[in-house]
Amino acid sequence: MPDNASRVKLLDPRRIRVLEARLDSIDVEVEGKVYCGVRPKRPFPHSHPEILILYCGEEELGLLRDYRRLDAHSRELMERVLSIMYFVPKIRKIYSIKMVKGRYEWKVLTDKGEVVFQTWSKCVRVLPNGRLTVRDVDGRVYYVERPDELDPRSRLLLSMLL
Amino acid sequence: MGDGDEDSSINIYPSREELPPLIAEILDEDEEVVAVAKTDLVGSSYGEEEVVLTNRRLMVLNEKIEICLKLSEIKMASLHSYVNTCVMSIDTIEGPRSLVAFTKARLKAFESLVALINNMAVGKIPYKLLKQHLLSRKELESRRDASSRVLLRLLRALRPAWPLLVTAIAVSVAVRLVGLVPPYLLKILVDEILIPRANIDKLAYVALGLLAVNIVRTILNTINSYLNTRLNVSIANTLRFRVFSKLQELSLSHYDKFTSGSLFSRVVDDVNRIQWFMTGSFAMLFINTSMIAFIGITLVTLSPQLTAIALTPIPVAVLGSTIYRRLASKYYHKLWRRWSKVISVVSDAINGAILIKSFGKEPEIGYKFSESLSEFEKAQLEVFKFEQKIWPAVGFAFTVSNILVWWLGGTQVLEERMTLGSLTAFTSYMWMFYTPIFNLVENVKSMQIAAVAASRIFEILDLDPGIEERPNAKDLCLKGDVEFDNVWFTYDGVHYALKGVSLRLRAGERIGLVGPSGSGKTTLIKLLLHLYEPQVGAIRIDGIDLRDLKTSSLKRQAAIVLQNPVLVDATIAENIALGKEGASPEEIIAAAKAARAHEFIMRLPEAYDTEVGTRGSRLSGGERARIALAAALLKDPRILVLDEPTAALDALTEDEVTEELERLTRGRTTIIIAHRLSTLRFVDRIVVMDKGMVVEEGSHDQLIKREGLYRKLWEAQLRGLVRVNQVSVSGRHAR
Repeated sequence: MPDNASRVKLLDPRRIRVLEARLDSIDVEVEGKVYCGVRPKRPFPHSHPEILILYCGEEELGLLRDYRRLDAHSRELMERVLSIMYFVPKIRKIYSIKMVKGRYEWKVLTDKGEVVFQTWSKCVRVLPNGRLTVRDVDGRVYYVERPDELDPRSRLLLSMLL
Repeated sequence: MGDGDEDSSINIYPSREELPPLIAEILDEDEEVVAVAKTDLVGSSYGEEEVVLTNRRLMVLNEKIEICLKLSEIKMASLHSYVNTCVMSIDTIEGPRSLVAFTKARLKAFESLVALINNMAVGKIPYKLLKQHLLSRKELESRRDASSRVLLRLLRALRPAWPLLVTAIAVSVAVRLVGLVPPYLLKILVDEILIPRANIDKLAYVALGLLAVNIVRTILNTINSYLNTRLNVSIANTLRFRVFSKLQELSLSHYDKFTSGSLFSRVVDDVNRIQWFMTGSFAMLFINTSMIAFIGITLVTLSPQLTAIALTPIPVAVLGSTIYRRLASKYYHKLWRRWSKVISVVSDAINGAILIKSFGKEPEIGYKFSESLSEFEKAQLEVFKFEQKIWPAVGFAFTVSNILVWWLGGTQVLEERMTLGSLTAFTSYMWMFYTPIFNLVENVKSMQIAAVAASRIFEILDLDPGIEERPNAKDLCLKGDVEFDNVWFTYDGVHYALKGVSLRLRAGERIGLVGPSGSGKTTLIKLLLHLYEPQVGAIRIDGIDLRDLKTSSLKRQAAIVLQNPVLVDATIAENIALGKEGASPEEIIAAAKAARAHEFIMRLPEAYDTEVGTRGSRLSGGERARIALAAALLKDPRILVLDEPTAALDALTEDEVTEELERLTRGRTTIIIAHRLSTLRFVDRIVVMDKGMVVEEGSHDQLIKREGLYRKLWEAQLRGLVRVNQVSVSGRHAR
C-alpha cells in the first residue's frame, strides 16, 4: 500500500530565507536554491494560517508547517505578502446588527477601520481554534479572534447569529 | 391476526389457529398458509374471493375451492392492468390461465402476492423465510397503534425531570391556593364591615390581608416561572436527545421507511407538543384537581343546596370529554400526517434544489407544496368542526346552572336565609370552581394530543436498531478476507435484491462488480459494510461473521466511496478529516493529493477551509467524488469499496484517477462497482451480477470468450464509443 505521508514534502524553516517581497510573491532561497516569483499559499487560511505551501509557477516546492519559525527578516517579508493575499479584517467591536430587506446589516469596528456589510442569517462559523469567521453576502470574510474578549453589547449582538 | 378490515393489504396468519375456518379445514396436515389476498370482484360483479398461497399450492376460494394449482406447475405469476380492474394470471406448464379479477383498491395486496408466488415458485426462496419477513413487518405496523399506556411510559421516560416537575407542580398549587383567599376577604368585607357599617378597624386588616396575598402570589409566580422554564428545557432536551441518539443507532433499512420530513417532525414538533403538555397541561391536572377539592369544600360550607346546582353540568362535561377522547386521536393523527407532508415537501425542495432547478420543476414543486398546505388546512377545519360538535354543548350546560344559582341564591338573600356576602363569595368561588373543571376538560384534549405525539416518538424509540452486534463482538485488526455465504436480502420483505449470493475475496484481492442497474451490486456492498443485515446467509471477514465483529472495528478498517457522494455542510478539510479522527493538516493534504484533489482545492481562494455548502452543493460531482475518495484513503482501510468512482469524472481525469486507483488499491481488498468497464482494467477478477445473483466470474478475457452478459455489456459500450467517434468525425467533416 502506498504511504500517503510521503506525498507531502515538508520544508525546514531553518533552511529557507525570504530575499525579496512583492505584492503577492516572494523571492526565496530554499535549501540553497533561489526561486523567484514564489507564491506562498495557505492551505488552511482560517483554521491553520501558520501553514504555507510554496508554489513556483505550477511547481509545489513544499509545505512549511509554521512560517513563524522563519528568521525575523524572512518572517516580516512573508507577513507583508500574506497580509495582502489574505486580507481579512478582524472585528474589534460590533456597533449594531439590523435586519434590512431580509439581510443582516452589520456595523463594526475592525483593525482596519469601521465597516458596514451585509450577511445572510447563516454567516458565522466557529473554527476549531476558537476563532469565528463572519462571511458577508459578497463572500468577504471577517474574523472575530477571541469572541469572549468582545465588549458585552458586541457579544450579545453576535450571539443573535451564532 | 388476519386483518379483515385491511383487505387492501395482504393477510398473514402466524399460526393455523388464527386462520378463518374455511381455509383451515381445506389444508393438509403439514400444509402452511403463507399469505391470503381478497378480491372485491367475482367475475364482473362485486363480491369476494380469497386467493390462498400455501407452501404447496395456490387456491381460489369462494365458499369452496374454485381453482387449485400446485406450485410446481407454476412458471410465473403476473398482473394485467385495465381501466379500473386488474386480472391476476398464472403461466402454468399447460399455458396461461387467468385466475381472479379485482379493482385497483386491492392492487397492493395482489402485487405482494404475485411477488411472493414468483419468489417461491420461480426464485425457489424458502417460504418460511418469506413469511417471517412479512410477519415482522406486520408486527412493526401493529406496534404503532399500541399507545394505550403511552402517557405512563412518557412519564417513566422523563424520570430525570421528576424532582423538578414535582417542585414546579407544588409551587403552582400553592399559587392557586393563595388566590382563593381574596373572595373570603370579600365575604368578611360585605357581611362584617360594609352592611353593618361597623368594625372599621377590621377594614385595615382586610386591606393588609389583600396586600399580603398579592405579595406572596407575586413571589410564588416568579419562582413558578423560573421552575417552568427549567422544566421546559429539561424535558425537551431529554426527549430530543433520546430520539436523535436512536436515529443514529438505526440501520439504513429504517430510514427507507420514513420520509425525512416525518423524522424532522418527530424530533421538533412532537417533542414540542409533549413539552407543552408536561409543563402546562400535566401540571394543571394536579392544580385543577386540588382547586376543585378546596373550592368544593368551601362551596358546600357556604351553601350545600347551591353547590348541588353548581355540580349539575359536570356529567355533561364528563360525557363530552369521553366522546372527545374516543374520536380526537383520529382527527389529530390526520392533521399531523398532513403537517408531516408539508414539511416533507419543503425538505425535499431544499435537499433536491439542484435536481429541481436543473429540470425546471419549480412550478411542480410549488403546486405540490400548495396542495399539501390546502390538505393541511382541510384537516385543520375538520378538527375545528369536530370540536364544535362537543364543546359548545358542554359550555351551555354550565351557563344554565350558573343562571339557576343566581336565581335561587338571590331568592335566599331576599328571604334572609343567606347573607349577601356569602352569595357574593359563593358566585366568585363558583366561577373559580368552573375554571378548573373547564381546564380539566381541556387537559383531556391536550393529554390526547400529547399521547399521539408520544406514540409517534415511541414508534421511533421502540424500533429494533436492525443491526445486530452480538454481546461478545470482537474488535479485531483485519486482514481483509471477505466471504458472502448464500446471502439473501430484501428491503421490503417481498422483492429480493439478493438471491443466494456466494462470493469469496482473498485479502488484498481486487474485484470489479458489474451488471445492469438493479442487479444488486450496491446492495451487496451495503451489506458488506453492515449498513443492513442479510435475512439469510452470512457475511464473514477473516472467517468471522459480521455480527461477531464490533461495528466500530469494521467502520475503522473499511471505507466506501459512493457514486454520488454527499458531503457534510462543513469545510473541505473537515469533510476529508471524517476519515480519521484528529487527522493532522499534513495527513489531510496527503490524502487529498492521493485522490488527485489537492490541485483543485489549492486553486480555491480559501483552499481546504472552503465551505462546501449543503450536501457539498458548491462543488462539482467530480470534485465531491475526489474529496470522498480522499476521506476514504485517509482511513487507510483494509477493505475499500468504490461505487462508480469515476462516474462523475471527465475522460482525462478518469484515466488519471484509474491509474491512481491502481496504485492506491494495491494490497487492499477492493470491490469496484463500475458501469464503465474500462475502469476495471487493473482488477484481479470481474464478478457479473444480474437480478440479485452472481451469473459470471473471471478475467476480462475469460468473460469475453464466454459470450454471456459481460460480453453483451462490453459490446454495448464499444458500440457507444464507435457512435461517439462517428458523430465527432462527421462533425469535423461538416465543418
